[in-house]
Amino acid sequence: MRLVRPDLHLLAGAYAVDAIDDESERVRFEHHLRRCQQCTDEVRGMAATTTRLGFAASAPPPPQLRDHVLAAVSRSRQLPPVVDHSSAPSEPRPSRMPRLAWAAMAASLAVIVVLTTVLVRTQGELNNTKAREARVNVVLAAPDARVVTRATSAGGTATAVYSLARHALVVASAKLPPPPNGKVYELWLLGPPRVRAAGLLPAARHGHTAPVLVAGLASGDQLGLTIEPTGGSSRPTTAPIVVLPLRV
Amino acid sequence: MDAHGTRPADAGPGLPEGAGQDLDRLLGRVARGDERAFASVYDQLAGPVYGLIRRVVRDPAQSEEVAQEVLLEVWRNATRFDPAKGSAATWVMTIAHRRAVDRVRSATAAAEREKRTSVLLAIGDDVAEAVEASLERERVRRCLDSLTELQRESITLAYYGGYSYREVAGLLGITLGTIKTRIRDGLIRLRDCMGVT
Repeated sequence: MRLVRPDLHLLAGAYAVDAIDDESERVRFEHHLRRCQQCTDEVRGMAATTTRLGFAASAPPPPQLRDHVLAAVSRSRQLPPVVDHSSAPSEPRPSRMPRLAWAAMAASLAVIVVLTTVLVRTQGELNNTKAREARVNVVLAAPDARVVTRATSAGGTATAVYSLARHALVVASAKLPPPPNGKVYELWLLGPPRVRAAGLLPAARHGHTAPVLVAGLASGDQLGLTIEPTGGSSRPTTAPIVVLPLRV
Repeated sequence: MDAHGTRPADAGPGLPEGAGQDLDRLLGRVARGDERAFASVYDQLAGPVYGLIRRVVRDPAQSEEVAQEVLLEVWRNATRFDPAKGSAATWVMTIAHRRAVDRVRSATAAAEREKRTSVLLAIGDDVAEAVEASLERERVRRCLDSLTELQRESITLAYYGGYSYREVAGLLGITLGTIKTRIRDGLIRLRDCMGVT
């Protein structure tokens, strides 16, 4: 055997089934992989093999998944192709955190597309919108931004993109029925120490409410939405129709 | 089959003959922004993607979430799919497995993981069930049966169970060196049995 690191080579199997949980060990193996054609071939053959195992686990997806995915696709921009810099090594597997963050970003971008389509109606509004968008973008572009969506008990869904690094979140809703006469939807930051009023949801347009920026987000907060008398309350007077967990 | 002197690309494992190449072509169209091509890819791969994620993640709601992320990632990253490195099916299923594993590793604290260990006892049945659900069931089952028990258990726990090789070694009470070898030897044997080139 003329392999430099036979012990590393042994990891091909574990690598092919994603069973290397030690980040540095995986990075070392991937580094090795780039210089070892034999290992690369072996891992490819194994990936094709595990694909068969994966297919053996096929199960009918939930029926609504198709619509959800296709809808998300229709509002998501694709990544530009990678331009080959000849000797560029094969794309390394990005580390876990960036990938999670990337998922959040992707979802944020999907949200932003929806959000921006419901904005912008008149010139006067445009200026307000621009300022608001700028503040909203700071949250959406935060490296730690995450997305959470929940159905509300009143119907429709509420979505929040939140960033603890920016101490802020952005909320929008879809298909939420209009509040009863004389009532509004009010947001709350439900913190362990106390509950803070976080603003009112604007009236919906085409089934969507424009994004509301909520500042002062603290670790451990959840986001609640209640129905309150017009003008809002200083404390919630009804049970929330939805609570969005804002996990770190 | 040997294209341009490199090793042949995988011929769409787990798919009917010819479908693999169709998928590769479809993904090429997806890379150019063709949503209808993506719908066809969805129809062919959503079942395997969702089923595999279910097997690893187990919770239906979370599995659906992960499946949606994966399929959206396929759309967004289709521009980066390189057929020279493997088939479209393998590319998609690799993403699905990684995402599923990411989900169980990040979401499960040690306690949660222990709870799942009890479920492990039933995993043999699960795999049998899963295998039954598939068109390929006979072949995959025969190939899994051709492994030693230790190889089969190691691969099953790592792939379907989403465990790291260290965890699998702990569960099976064997050394790290042994587990690495068993997973690798088992996969090589499976590969040869399935006729994957």
